Formats: sequence, C-alpha cells, structure tokens
Amino acid sequence: MLNINNLQVEVGGTTIIKGLTLAVPAGEVHAIMGPNGAGKSTLSYALTGRDGYEVVGGTATLNGEDLLDLAPEERAAKGLFLSFQYPLEIPGVPTLTFLRTALNAQRKARGEGEISVPDFMKLSRDVAKKLGVTPEMMKRPLNVGFSGGEKKRMEIYQMALFDPRFMILDETDSGLDIDALKVVSEGVNALRGPDKGMLVITHYQRLLDHIKPDRVHVLAGGRIVDSGGPELALALEADGYDRYKDAA
Amino acid sequence: MALAELTLSAGEAALLNAFPPTEAGDAARAQIAAEGLPNRRVEAFKWTDLCAALADGIPESDGSAGLIPACLQDALVLDFAPDGFGLEGEKDLGLIIETEDSLELEGAGPLATLAAGFAPRAVVLRVTQSQSRPVVLRRHPGAPMRVRLELDAGARLTLIDTGLATAGLSTGLLEIEIGAGAELVRYSLQNGDTQAIELTHTAVDVADTGRYHAISLMFGGKLARAETHVTLAGEGASCLIHGAYLLSGHTHADMTTKVVHASPNGQTRELFKGAVQDRARGVFQGKILVERAAQKTDARQNHHALMLSEGAEIDAKPELEIYADDVQCAHGNTIGALDDQALFYMRQRGIPEAQAKSLLVEAFVTDVFEAIEHEGVREWFSELARMWLEASSS
Repeated sequence: MLNINNLQVEVGGTTIIKGLTLAVPAGEVHAIMGPNGAGKSTLSYALTGRDGYEVVGGTATLNGEDLLDLAPEERAAKGLFLSFQYPLEIPGVPTLTFLRTALNAQRKARGEGEISVPDFMKLSRDVAKKLGVTPEMMKRPLNVGFSGGEKKRMEIYQMALFDPRFMILDETDSGLDIDALKVVSEGVNALRGPDKGMLVITHYQRLLDHIKPDRVHVLAGGRIVDSGGPELALALEADGYDRYKDAA
Repeated sequence: MALAELTLSAGEAALLNAFPPTEAGDAARAQIAAEGLPNRRVEAFKWTDLCAALADGIPESDGSAGLIPACLQDALVLDFAPDGFGLEGEKDLGLIIETEDSLELEGAGPLATLAAGFAPRAVVLRVTQSQSRPVVLRRHPGAPMRVRLELDAGARLTLIDTGLATAGLSTGLLEIEIGAGAELVRYSLQNGDTQAIELTHTAVDVADTGRYHAISLMFGGKLARAETHVTLAGEGASCLIHGAYLLSGHTHADMTTKVVHASPNGQTRELFKGAVQDRARGVFQGKILVERAAQKTDARQNHHALMLSEGAEIDAKPELEIYADDVQCAHGNTIGALDDQALFYMRQRGIPEAQAKSLLVEAFVTDVFEAIEHEGVREWFSELARMWLEASSS
C-alpha cells in the first residue's frame, strides 16, 4: 500500500526527514510516535505535497504509484487523505459547498461523473449522523467558529465522506476531551478495511487506546529509530522518548 | 519672477475643444486652461494620474451600454448616449423628470467640474413619493451624464447605474439630495475594458434620518475612478457605502470616498474589498470627517484587499478626522495575499489550485454584496464576480 523509501525532506534549507523508510501494507494501521520536533508533521506534509516541504531524496508510492511528482489535489484524488492537526477555517465558503466541490473535483480527476445534489445530500446526511455533525455545522462556513472538538469531528467526517484509500491522522487527539476522543476514534475505526491503510501520528499513547495500531514506529531526529507492536507505545508512555535521544 | 507657462498635453488641448458652449463647459475649460488635468503631484490623484491617462488625447469610444438584466425588466431606463438622452419603460406617479441647461454645480473637485462641463444639460429627477419601480441610468460609451436627483421627505428610490464601455472617455456627475427620512438605494456597476476611461463623481446631501445606501462593483478600465462625497447634514442621517473591485490585466480602478458628519447621531458603514492580479492597480481613498457638532456619530470603515500576483498594486489611504468628542469611529485596512495554508488545505481535499483560489476570492469579496437588498441585483453582481474569477483563473 504505502511505501516510503529513504525519504529526505528539507524545510527552509534545513533537513528534517533524514532517510525515512516505512511500509504500511493494505489493511493495517501504523502509528508514528515521537518527541516534538521529530519531523512527524513534516512527514505528513511531504507526503501530501505541501509547498515548502521539499523532497530532496527517496521515494514514496501508494499502491505502486509515485506520489511525489503529483500536485496535492492529484494525491487527494488518488485516495490520500490528511486529517490536519489544526484544521483550517475557510471563511465565506459554506461547509456543504466546500464538501461537494471537493468530492466532485476528486471524482472528476478519477474520471467518474459528478454526484447529483440529492445523492450528495443523502450521503452527507447519513455520514453526518454517525459522527455527531449537526445540520447547523453544515450550514456555517467551513470550520468557522467551530470548537477544537468540532473541527476534528469535521475532519473525520470529511474522511468518511471522501472514502480515501490511505489516511494520515496528524495529532488527531490534540484538543479533544475524552468524549470527543471516543466519537472521533469510533469514526476512524469504522473506516478501517482490508483494502485501506492508515498512519496515525501522535505524541501520546492515549489515542492508541482507542485506535489500536498493528505496528508502532518511533520517529526521532528525522528517522524511524524503533518499530514494534502495540506494546511499544505502552513502553513509550512509561519511559518517555529519552532513550532515543542518542539515536536522533 | 514670471510664473511658468502651463504647457497643455495633447489630451488637455483636445478637452478644451470638446466641452460644449455652456456655462459649465466654460468653467471646465477655464479650469483646464489654468490648472491642467490633475496628475500624480495632486494629493487626491497621486495614485490615479488622470493627466497621464489622457496625455495622448481623448480615445475613440467603443463598446455598448450593456444589457439590462432580466431582474430589472420592470425598471424605468434613462439612456445616456453621446448625442442625447432618452427614456425607456413606464414611469410611475411621484417621479418628475425634467432637463435643465444650466444648474449650479453641487459637486466639488476636478472630476465634478469635468463631468459637469461635458454634459450639455442635466437630467433632473424629483421623487415626491416612494417608487416601487427601480430607475436605471444606462451609460453608453463616451456619453456624458449629469443627473440631479431630489428625494422628497420620506420618499424611497432604487437606482442602478451601469455601462459597458470598452474604450473612450465617459463622465458622470450625480448630485443627490435625500430629504428627511428619505432613502436612496443605489447599485453601481462599472464594467469597462483597458481602453476605457470612466470618471464618476457623486455628491450626496442627506437630511434628518435620511439614508444613502450604495453598493458598487468595479472591474476597472484604462482608468476608472468613482468619487463619492456624502454630507450627512441632518440629525440621524446615515450612509452605507460598500464597494468591490476585481482587477486583472492592466486595469485601474479607484474608489475614493469622503463622508462628512455635520450633525449628531449620524451613522456611516463602509466596507470595501478588492482582489487585484497581473499588472492591475486598485486604489482606495476613504475619508470620514466628523465635525464638532456631530456628537454621537457612529462610523466604521473597512477596506481589505487581496494581491493575487506579484506585479499587482493596491494603494489605500484611510483617513479619520474627528472634531467631536463623543463619537465611535473605527477603521480597518488590510492588504495581503491569499492564505497559503487555506489553499493547501483545500487542495489536500482534492480541489484544484485554480478552483481553490476562485472559491477563496469569491468568499472574500461577496460579503460586500450581502448588503444588496434586491435579490436579482445581488445575484447579477455575484454572477459577474464569478465570471471574472473563472476568466482570471483559466
């Protein structure tokens, strides 16, 4: 599914990711944990093609297709989704307009027809109910005036609506209280599937109580310095990241 | 020491011959002979150099008056053509239309003098009772327009002024008196092209609790300038002035406003938004003057603009001048680029870059149109803005 080989990424002339290799097979959820400044968000932006995150070496493919030469919107149409740590407010663009525009743009890029307005309304309502997204939220401009929890719910809502093949969740637990965390985690778990993959980026173990990973990797100093099963996350929670200081 | 002789440009010399032999024409001739056209050394024109724009003479007129949208089919249309003035549509009771060959000038400044000078006569509209039918002022390319509009106490009128000159010099002068409790709602569309020079001066005087409510949309031209001078003369008088400018190519649009609060309890609401790309230039000059007598004035001015390309230019001069001590006045002015983070966020969701930009710009400017009460006009302006966005992002 997602294959990253010896990836190197520069931001503003500084190398942040220094040769990262990682493979997430279809059907699996992998967690990336690491201290602040390890390059976790840089990895998510480099994979999704944000300007300023310059890949200077290595490869990244999704189902064998090269990602790195594609524009961000082309990667999205290939089924790559990033749930943002800080979802953006888009003033003046109603949520429903935004969602329908994005969904149709993805479908068009894949050579599929536009979704009709009634079909879209039904789809958006069905998904909204499951994630506690209210009709009031849908009427407002995207994320404007939303609480931190509402913004994260809206991210997962979009994830469910667009039905991507590979999902990157960047610090999805930050800013969530325990109830919101449950709702969001249930939403994420419902999107797991045999032909889908997920990369869960988090600083704390807490999220992984709710979204159980198949593998856990430790990112420090721009490299994967340790990998293991879910027990690795528990060990990190107990011991912290100190023992990777030298590795970084 | 002898004063240096003023050397007239080809354009200034051509103007001297172009004014009709009227009092106002003579006044305009005298002004140009004495001072020339305002250039960038004149403070109020420092970003809009009229002298340079007309340096080579008066450009040939081209284009059309534009179509009146279906939502205004019931309107009374006042047609201003280079060779005269005509009426189309039905006129309701309470609207008196006359022409005057000689009227004292109410506006101030070179643009007002110029526009008065070009107009062979003024069309005088007197509104004695509220009009349900809108009035459209349709300007043909190169046509001089002068309109005197008087709203009697309590009368209400919706006025639309529009034109579609692609080349030539078009001038407009509107002198408006809004009586006590009366209301003028005005929608202006300036939709020119890079060879058109369009100059409009509006002078408004508002009596007690009267209201001037104006929303405009400008696409610029070789040089387009809309000046609005409002005097809130009566107690509790108010004005709302909203404007949007969308500029691309080599166009230039200038929105210059001055609101004078002369009496207590007046209210001003100004919101201007612009998006400028390529080598285009947008100018906003907004002055609010609160006189000593104008206690309890509540005035707000906002101008926000987006630079969509490196070579674009936006010049803004917000000015508050306050002589009363018990007032609420606020202004805000920002000029920036599109938010990169928002753009990336939208692209990550699959929206192509050009479309994402369009959506963001549309969202940015459309709150200017929210004050448009006429649903059809609001849709018309929004559609024109969308068409501009589509054309400019392709």
